[in-house]
Amino acid sequence: MPDLKLQRLFPSLTRRQLFAGAAALGTVSMLPVAAWADGTRLNVRAYLEPDDYDPLDASGFLEELLYGCIYRKLIQYVPGDEWAWQNDLAESIEQTSPTTIAFTLKQGQMWSDGYGEITAEDVKFSMDRHMVEENNSRIKPDLGTFTHVEVTGSHSGIIHMERPFAPIWTIALPYLAGTVICKQATEEAGGKITTAVPPTVSGPYRVREHRLGERWVLDRNPEFSGEPADFERVDLIVIVDEAAAEIAKEAGDVDFTAIGPASVQRLGDNPPAGTQLKVHPALFYHWVGLNVQNPKFEDIRVRQAIMHAIDVPSIMQAAFFDVAEPATGIIAPGLIGHRPETLIPPQADFARARELLDEAGIDRLDINIDVLNNVTHTTVAQVMQAMMAQAGIDLNISVHEGGSFWSLGVAADGDRWQDLELTLKRFSMTPDPYYATAWFVSEQIGDWNWEQFSSEEFDQLHDEALSETDPARRDEMYRRMQDLMEESGGYRFLTHGVTANLFADSIVPATRPDGLPLVQHFRRA
Amino acid sequence: MLQYTLQRIALALGIVFVAISILYTVMITLPGDPTTVLLGPRATPELRAAFRANLGLDNPVHVQIAQFWGRIASGDLGTDYNRNRPVAEAVFSALPHTMALVFGAIVWSAVLGIMLGAFSADNRNSWIDRVTAVLSVGFLAAPSFVVALYSLLLFSVTLRWFPTIGAGEPGDILNRLYHLALPSFAIGLAWVGYVARIVRAAMLETLGENYIRTARAFGLPRRTVIYNYALRVAILPAVQVLGVGIGGLLSSAVFAEIVFSRPGIGSLIYDSVSGRNYPVVMGSMLVAIGFFVTCALIADLVNAALDPRHRTRS
Repeated sequence: MPDLKLQRLFPSLTRRQLFAGAAALGTVSMLPVAAWADGTRLNVRAYLEPDDYDPLDASGFLEELLYGCIYRKLIQYVPGDEWAWQNDLAESIEQTSPTTIAFTLKQGQMWSDGYGEITAEDVKFSMDRHMVEENNSRIKPDLGTFTHVEVTGSHSGIIHMERPFAPIWTIALPYLAGTVICKQATEEAGGKITTAVPPTVSGPYRVREHRLGERWVLDRNPEFSGEPADFERVDLIVIVDEAAAEIAKEAGDVDFTAIGPASVQRLGDNPPAGTQLKVHPALFYHWVGLNVQNPKFEDIRVRQAIMHAIDVPSIMQAAFFDVAEPATGIIAPGLIGHRPETLIPPQADFARARELLDEAGIDRLDINIDVLNNVTHTTVAQVMQAMMAQAGIDLNISVHEGGSFWSLGVAADGDRWQDLELTLKRFSMTPDPYYATAWFVSEQIGDWNWEQFSSEEFDQLHDEALSETDPARRDEMYRRMQDLMEESGGYRFLTHGVTANLFADSIVPATRPDGLPLVQHFRRA
Repeated sequence: MLQYTLQRIALALGIVFVAISILYTVMITLPGDPTTVLLGPRATPELRAAFRANLGLDNPVHVQIAQFWGRIASGDLGTDYNRNRPVAEAVFSALPHTMALVFGAIVWSAVLGIMLGAFSADNRNSWIDRVTAVLSVGFLAAPSFVVALYSLLLFSVTLRWFPTIGAGEPGDILNRLYHLALPSFAIGLAWVGYVARIVRAAMLETLGENYIRTARAFGLPRRTVIYNYALRVAILPAVQVLGVGIGGLLSSAVFAEIVFSRPGIGSLIYDSVSGRNYPVVMGSMLVAIGFFVTCALIADLVNAALDPRHRTRS
């Protein structure tokens, strides 16, 4: 007897139905991959998802990637190979005294969706709200000694600082903290923009939709007051994995992506059809830090021996595939405070390292290095391990995932910070040296100063350089600060790395000098 | 059957409760301060302290777990630290993508696996059977992330048949299916081999049963006996395995969603764990574990409905 229950569950499939199904699948598979390849759409990779539309919650470049497309600032970075800024909303802007900056807005710059003209009140609202404690702005430190904006007319105002703050021109105004949002729209939204799409925008693009975990879809903003954007649609696509992004570019699914140093030579020598590669010196800084307060490294000769046993050129070759240059400090070339050379040459001197250990009365030294679980840093550690053995130093490598690693040196997260030995880190950077040295002052111990480096002179110079407006004097001060870091034996500077961008030759990308994209300035070729 | 169903549901709820409580404990005892990761380097110590206090991260572990279950009992999955939005919104916008991926993989791999297994059993010890055996074991041995990368290189970069990233345009079913094809192929391939081996073994056992011999003795066509009678019984073990296998597919989905840059529960959990975004991790895990336990429960109930011996044994 046929089992009717089973028959209902598993109806039989005829051969004809099977063929029809296969034919349908075949038809689906023949659909064109790049249906949008009509030149009016731009696909740009974002390596993580920006948090939201409100600058209060911004924490890094990913938000800037989005904000650059939809919002404006008084001034913004000029695309190209040299760090400079240009007027955006500002018709004129100038330092009128060491603690004041006067600005006048261009006339007729509009918010979209009926929110009227951009006024000085919007500028005041946007900047002052970072200073309100309850707003919990994540980027408040970028504004330094800024106190408030004084509105002097519908289109003019004065930016006030408590004391001179040189980075206001390089970090605050042209970056996240300088983003101008609409006062009326934000107040209507309850003081913070948490809507699915922003109620109003001022940039060349507007948000059509945010596909959570996948992409931000932007359309050309027809109400943009400047030169209309070149693309009808821009997709900021979240691709976490670098290899996946590279494959997506090769397949033509993204038009612009950064790639890892491992791929630079291969793609540089043999780029995929219709693709170009451009390599930029980056601003990041990678370094090996040594906890100078650890009893194991009490004797400075031990610290110096470790520094002499690290061969930076070998690391460049093995981990950075010879596409990056050794760093001379934490401040990259092209910025105020860049040092021409290090105190200890980048090449290792194993004999000198051995000699220093002997002087310190150490036969063999067992030490530990904590690194992030990325290929570059684990390779660096392995190269170091092999090299240090030549000087009689046994290096143990501890690999951590991101969440665990970034709290190793944080006092609020347990006692591990006190026992740290060596760490390998990369910090991001903005185009002002203040941003680099800020992490190594004494008050950062137990927070981001994992080397526990403490120098009164360094702290004083950091404080003074903040307010120093003479570029030559500032340059000298920051050089001296890096000398102090190196003299402590707590730092071996590795490299600033590179930003390698792979892009379709149907577009003309615009980037900052460090290679980070300014999507609002991208054009069709 | 009702008593059996109620027992299974109670067991499923117990599993969810224990699994989530253990996970919560493990997660918050992991090194890694969420405020450091979430607020970025420029956040002031005062802001970080306020953030910790506001989120109850200063409370003892058992209090945090109790608070978590209290929220769940009132239907609240919590708030995403990063984006100030309800966790439910993040989770339930990601879930359909993962379900589509997992069920897509299950469906195609089950259909192909069952066909291969049945065909193999029908041609036992022939060269076809041996080739199928080699293929099945080969599929089983291939890690899904390797299959994902190689299928991307072959079908997307070289042949340009399929897209490499994304989940397709919302509202366009064909486009969605088109974007689903390669990821579901990558995570389903191993299951083809697994299902084929299970079905083959079950078929061989079934083909030795009396009722099959009787059917043959009555002169029923060979194909009818094998594919209409034997196969219907032989796929029962595969149904059970597929139900439990959803768990395995969920973990494969993490890789597939990252490699193919698809939204989904897998990539949401991955990002949230890295960022120590506890509410999102727990909300996602609750839904993922609930999804897995529900699938296993359904498989149990289907099996019990199809084969009364299961519920009798229980």
